[in-house]
Amino acid sequence: MTVVIGFEGSANKIGIGIIRDGEVLSNPRRTYITPPGQGFMPSDTARHHRAVILTVLKEALDQAGLKPADIDCVAYTKGPGMGAPLVTVALVARTVAQLWGKPLLGVNHCVGHIEMGRLITKANNPTVLYVSGGNTQVIAYSERRYRIFGETIDIAVGNCLDRFARVIKISNDPSPGYNIEQMAKKGSQYVELPYTVKGMDVSFSGILSYIEEAAHKMLSSGQCTAEDLCFSLQETLFSMLVEITERAMAHCGSQEVLIVGGVGCNLRLQEMMDVMCKERGAKLFATDERYRTDEVEVTWRD
Amino acid sequence: MAAPEAEVNTHTGKLEFSLDVPFPSAEEAIIALRSLSPDREPRRGGISKQLSVSGNTLYVRWSADEARTLRVSVSSFMDHLSLVLETMEAFGPAVKLHT
Repeated sequence: MTVVIGFEGSANKIGIGIIRDGEVLSNPRRTYITPPGQGFMPSDTARHHRAVILTVLKEALDQAGLKPADIDCVAYTKGPGMGAPLVTVALVARTVAQLWGKPLLGVNHCVGHIEMGRLITKANNPTVLYVSGGNTQVIAYSERRYRIFGETIDIAVGNCLDRFARVIKISNDPSPGYNIEQMAKKGSQYVELPYTVKGMDVSFSGILSYIEEAAHKMLSSGQCTAEDLCFSLQETLFSMLVEITERAMAHCGSQEVLIVGGVGCNLRLQEMMDVMCKERGAKLFATDERYRTDEVEVTWRD
Repeated sequence: MAAPEAEVNTHTGKLEFSLDVPFPSAEEAIIALRSLSPDREPRRGGISKQLSVSGNTLYVRWSADEARTLRVSVSSFMDHLSLVLETMEAFGPAVKLHT
């Protein structure tokens, strides 16, 4: 029975999870939430993580009912992510690994998300759409490695959503993406936005610039509501993601799609992806909210 | 402890700063060294630091082109060092390993 403790803090969430042979024993976390209209900066995020990390570590051990001696291995997110928060987490992981005399394993954040998704959903060999605030990639496994078949050529889809949320000043609690999703449900007018799929890849920075300007013009003139813009943005962004996922599936001859990463929580995205999957006779796998965000994925990897 | 000062190395023209951190044991100094040494200074910025342990003490030596970058690096290091120390306090003492 292998017990692994994993530390994750590559963005604004800090989480420490303990897993024993595939069973999650504890998964405490904290999220650094900024006021509406503001994003999170690396040094402030690092300061947030630094303030809570030792408390969260104690919680992880207490909730799992374990002592350090019961842990077999310490895992942590080595990257990619924001530098300052990653270092904060790495320092604690390195120190406890030495104090407890356990091996230390650096985990690739993206691969962690995928492995966790596959383990939880039991997807066999899916085309993976990894979408979060920091990442947007379509990934498939080929010849012993995960390979990127399509990706954003500029910003991540979650980044586009988060920055739009700032423009219309909606709350970052629990997350800007969640609040956009709720507002989108109340949208009734479709506002046409640029649609920028580039072959296997996507681009979001142009759409962001466009909608930032459109928001100022159209909201002040009353041409549409913020809900309409949320709705239109989701429909556009998610259609693009479905298109590049489908292209990769056709390329690989795949019959399974797995969505991982925070933006994967979005039910509209899942719905749209499912429509495409059904048209192709493929199966969609999506994890539930407990596993889609960052913490547990680090521990699963091992 | 007297406030340490940065000095200019008259040969290289760089600013130098040193910090000596005493630990209760050599083992703990080495744990701190291994936790703190992997993170390198940013490539551009004209700053470098060296960490080493001798006896119970962790020695940190900086060499910088500008006072500003030196200040940022030292300040950042102190934050990292204090996190490592707090972690050691909360989750130590180190387990004795039998090889």
